[in-house]
Amino acid sequence: MRLTVKQLAKAYGYLWALRHLDLELASGEFIALLGPNGAGKTTLLKLLAGLATPTAGTIELDGRSLAANGAALRGQIGLLAPADHLYDQLTVTENLRFFSSLYGKAYHESGLAAGLEEVGLGERAKEAVGNLSAGMKCRLSIAKWRLLDPGLLLLDEPYGVLDGSGVDLLEAFLRQQCAKGHIVIMASHHVSRAVSLCSRALVLHQGRLSFNEAKQSPWPSFDRAFGDFLPRGGL
Amino acid sequence: MTLLRQTHLLLFKDLLIELRRRDSLLTMFFFGTLLLFVFHFAFDLPPDKIAELAPALLWLAFLFTGTLGLAQLFLAERDNHCLGALLLSPLDRGALFLAKTAFNFILMFLVELVVIPLFWILFNLSAWNLLPQLFLVTLLGTVGFCVLGTITAAITLRARARELLLPLVLFPLMIPVILATIRCMESILRTGDMVEAMPWLRLLIGFDVIFLTIGVLIFDSVIES
Repeated sequence: MRLTVKQLAKAYGYLWALRHLDLELASGEFIALLGPNGAGKTTLLKLLAGLATPTAGTIELDGRSLAANGAALRGQIGLLAPADHLYDQLTVTENLRFFSSLYGKAYHESGLAAGLEEVGLGERAKEAVGNLSAGMKCRLSIAKWRLLDPGLLLLDEPYGVLDGSGVDLLEAFLRQQCAKGHIVIMASHHVSRAVSLCSRALVLHQGRLSFNEAKQSPWPSFDRAFGDFLPRGGL
Repeated sequence: MTLLRQTHLLLFKDLLIELRRRDSLLTMFFFGTLLLFVFHFAFDLPPDKIAELAPALLWLAFLFTGTLGLAQLFLAERDNHCLGALLLSPLDRGALFLAKTAFNFILMFLVELVVIPLFWILFNLSAWNLLPQLFLVTLLGTVGFCVLGTITAAITLRARARELLLPLVLFPLMIPVILATIRCMESILRTGDMVEAMPWLRLLIGFDVIFLTIGVLIFDSVIES
């Protein structure tokens, strides 16, 4: 899996949410996508997921344009949005069955049950998703994407609703994905967690890519680049 | 996965959700029945005018009832941004169009199963033997309504005043379907057979086939915009 982004730009009316972004990501990379509110992180994730159309520029997966081969490439892209993208009226298992069939993935009932056990939802398998808490829905999303196993996994603020064991579960899953050679891009304001997991950090500021470096330890250039956005305490 | 398999999967999901929610069907059923009673008390149809007025009244009820159903067509997808989940998937957008059209058609069909006989009883119509022909024409008209309705519902999905905008966009587009259906039914009621209704029936079938094909082809752009 190789992701290439060239001169990507997105405007909402007269407002440029993203400008002239170039990016080249290789197999197994874990990207921490950072930046202040309104920097363009969610816009970039939507463009990479194919949920928004770029104003300019191209996105290529393994050399194939996302715009030209949307239907064929969409099956390789996942977007884990906590508590989203699940049908409230369907049960936990029905949601997994539905999305597995939609992605053309073969499944066994025992596999679904085991997947739910692993994310701690084994006893809630027959419950409607609408009855689950936001944290449980996020766990179900993790189970869903484990099952669908996308080559490019995008995450938008996944930590907000998860408890401690949920965070461990999520991070173990993301490490597995990278170990398999898949690309993970996670937008988060939990900078320390994201940086501890990542192999590269991208910082967006006012729609522009202001920092793009592979992780180092220590990492003074990152501290300088990101320092402006950290809370200073006080009023 | 083939277009038909995807359509079946989405339709089954929608029917399962409707079975659990019962929002759309119950609302449409009660609204349709209520309209018939309002018409019954408002109009005293003279026997010589029945053939002319009954189809128009019946289709007025279907139009309002169906629009109510269309407004809720993408309701399940609006919760938790599930439309995003569908658009993110490798799903053929044409399958989404076919599934939503079929789902709306099934709801309308169930409502019509109750409303048409009730209309006959309330307006004391005697031509019970013509019901199968009239039902066939109604179903063809319903296909046209559902096809155009699904496209319109998708166009107005993200509009601010979508409930208001939906009929404003849909009703003018529906004129050929309504005209052909009402003329067909009127001919059948007046003459007692389908001979005179055939040109309108052909127009109706042609309209259904053309817009069903167009819908499958353009739904990708419609839903993504």
